[in-house]
Amino acid sequence: MENKSFGARLLGTWNTRTIVAVAIGAAVFGVLMNYGGIPIFTNTSLTTAMIVPVVVGAMYGPVPAAVAAGVGNVIADLIGGWGMYPAWSIANAVAGLFIGALPLYGAYITEGKFLTKHMVIYVLCVLLGNALAFGVVAQVFTVFFEGGDMNVSLLQGLWASIGNILVEVVIGIPVIKLLANRYQSRTNLTEEE
Amino acid sequence: MNNRFVINYTPGPTPFHKLTGFTKVFLFLAMICAIMWTFDIRILIPLLLINCAEIVSMKPNYKPILIVFAITFVTVTLIGNVMLFAVSPEAGYNNVGAEHIIWQGSGSHYISKEFLWYIFVVFIKRTASFSSVMAFALSTTPSEFASGLNHCGLPYKVCTVVSLAYRTIPDIANDFVNIRNSMMMRGLELSGKKAGIWKRLKNYVLLLIPLIFTAFGKVGNIANAMDLRGYGKNKKRTWYAEREPGKLDRIIRTLTVLLFAAVIYYVIRYRIIDPWPAKFWCPWLARDEVQHVNTIDTIKILQWFRNR
Repeated sequence: MENKSFGARLLGTWNTRTIVAVAIGAAVFGVLMNYGGIPIFTNTSLTTAMIVPVVVGAMYGPVPAAVAAGVGNVIADLIGGWGMYPAWSIANAVAGLFIGALPLYGAYITEGKFLTKHMVIYVLCVLLGNALAFGVVAQVFTVFFEGGDMNVSLLQGLWASIGNILVEVVIGIPVIKLLANRYQSRTNLTEEE
Repeated sequence: MNNRFVINYTPGPTPFHKLTGFTKVFLFLAMICAIMWTFDIRILIPLLLINCAEIVSMKPNYKPILIVFAITFVTVTLIGNVMLFAVSPEAGYNNVGAEHIIWQGSGSHYISKEFLWYIFVVFIKRTASFSSVMAFALSTTPSEFASGLNHCGLPYKVCTVVSLAYRTIPDIANDFVNIRNSMMMRGLELSGKKAGIWKRLKNYVLLLIPLIFTAFGKVGNIANAMDLRGYGKNKKRTWYAEREPGKLDRIIRTLTVLLFAAVIYYVIRYRIIDPWPAKFWCPWLARDEVQHVNTIDTIKILQWFRNR
């Protein structure tokens, strides 16, 4: 993983395994978006779907994570019954790109590498990604393509990003650590030429 | 569990079911673009009626559709509008461009005719969007969806992602329900009455981890099965669900092209060359009564900064 170029790490390798993983990630995203909310008050819930780009990004790279989140949101819209909101799919894809950027700064989960340094960068990426995606991208697309009300959209964006950050940090870090531990046991194996 | 989903997995008997994947995807994209870009009640209502006619012509099982619609109506429309009323009662003025107050409450809360009109138009838009999604989801099988997207020019690997994701949803949902039930059997508290927020968050982690590992554990099997059948070897592929277009296909494709052209004409004519002063049209307002409001000026946070 370390000797790969930046572009290759960004794109990930698009073999059959990655395609299937992205597809399953998108399906999990859709299901969690609809049924996996944590009830907090009546009628407000914290969606746990944003755990998907974390896992896909950790194992396959940022672009697969972005595709999983974007397609996942389209599928959630299709089965959810609230209509189609492409602006939010694009915003989720942008957030997925930032959240799944783990291999870009050296956190190679598939080689069991996740240090405290990476954890700090991960949290910063999560904050930046959510601010950019739900504070800027979703707002711009909502206003210019869908003609929604700006104040409501900003409130929704604020609420979504607070919930997402909570899920990505509180649930995401333990999950990444677990994945890293799972892969660590295989790191001393080398491929024979 | 199965009848909670509106997605259709088997080819249906009615004429609308029998259209090719490309026709359905193309019609769906045109509908979504038309609903999104025009945002004009004179166009939204005909589109809503067309979509409803499509749904009725398919003779679906109405129960899951109505359940989904009722849930959205309560959570998004009712609660969303109460929130809108609390946060920005001037939304009517901002979007329609005038104000006739019919009820003045205490403080800055009031209801104007235009506010009600705004709520109504947004509701119609949401329902139109919902009905076009339903018409699409009820008629299209995963394989048709993928072949239609591929026909639109998307690389086939992305199409596979969509169809595979679409197809695995019931499996994942079943896994999710099974894991949740077995965890609750072991005494994990997930409801809001007995456990606090942090306790519940922690318990959801315990529920998510097995879900993620079961879901992603299938990746190896599915990928191997696909590789063994030669997936991804060639640059192109054909689709099992792809057929020659029939007579109805040609008619609907032509109508969709016309719809697309009409939408583009509308956007150029009424949004760019000669834009209506406000965001959308209102029957009781003449053109010179309507005032233009800059969207950026309506943002509360910026107003607050400016006033300091």
